[in-house]
Amino acid sequence: MDQEKEIQELVIARLRTLPDGKEISMGADGEFTKEELIEHVRVNDAVGKKMIDVEMGFLRALKEGIFYDHNEFADNPA
Amino acid sequence: MNLLITRPRYDYTTRYISAWAEPVVQSAKSKGHHVLDLQEERANRQEVESMLKKQTPEVVFFNGHGSEDTLTGHNGEVILRTGENEHLLSEKIIYALSCRSAKILGASSVKKGARAYIGYIEDFIFMYSSEKRTRPREDRTAALFLEPSNQVPLSLIKGNSASRAYRSAKNAYARGIQKLLTSRTSKEDTATIRYLFWDMKNLVCQGDGSARP
Repeated sequence: MDQEKEIQELVIARLRTLPDGKEISMGADGEFTKEELIEHVRVNDAVGKKMIDVEMGFLRALKEGIFYDHNEFADNPA
Repeated sequence: MNLLITRPRYDYTTRYISAWAEPVVQSAKSKGHHVLDLQEERANRQEVESMLKKQTPEVVFFNGHGSEDTLTGHNGEVILRTGENEHLLSEKIIYALSCRSAKILGASSVKKGARAYIGYIEDFIFMYSSEKRTRPREDRTAALFLEPSNQVPLSLIKGNSASRAYRSAKNAYARGIQKLLTSRTSKEDTATIRYLFWDMKNLVCQGDGSARP
């Protein structure tokens, strides 16, 4: 599996953990359920790519451990 | 101080952000400020341009959809567009709760005389409860996003500088994330962290950070 596909699968797995009964507003792109977001990631369109940016940005920040010093991460949010 | 606020309301996103702007309106009024509150159909280009020219608000709080170079009002009407009318923001401090407008419109507004432009360089993303979408103010999931966002205008209303208002919101996002990470929270709330982090990192302050209303 190439890296892009691996990332796509990782993001889909993370989106599956979103709670039911919630929707995500992405501004002018609209509002989405988790199933709709997963489909956008699967077809790799603009909304799907945005979701990948969001998830990977968060995972990188988590890896760098910046969440545990709020002054640090509010000042330098990755 | 004059505060101009736009509150379009025609889809779930604009319903939420406009409803959550109400505490800002109430806070400004309680402090004796004059609030020019353009709701629903009144959040249109003609009214906005007229208010910006005639009422000379010191602070402008835009709620609505946007893009890199536009801000929109009711039913998606473009109320500000780079190269057309951003000069009307001259001498003002702006907070745009909108997607991406800080990227081009914010920078251009500052070049054309806006004192400071606080906004998002990427999409503003938030989560809400489907069952609460007709009662946005009762939605505690949406509150996790919209309360930190409100720190910008609430801080400006108190007379703080643009930089301090911006920092206040960043810190509110950061505190919210830390609380969700370190305390016993539901799975539902924990799922919001990735989007709170996204909004926090994409909030920027352009122009003169020391500018006060």
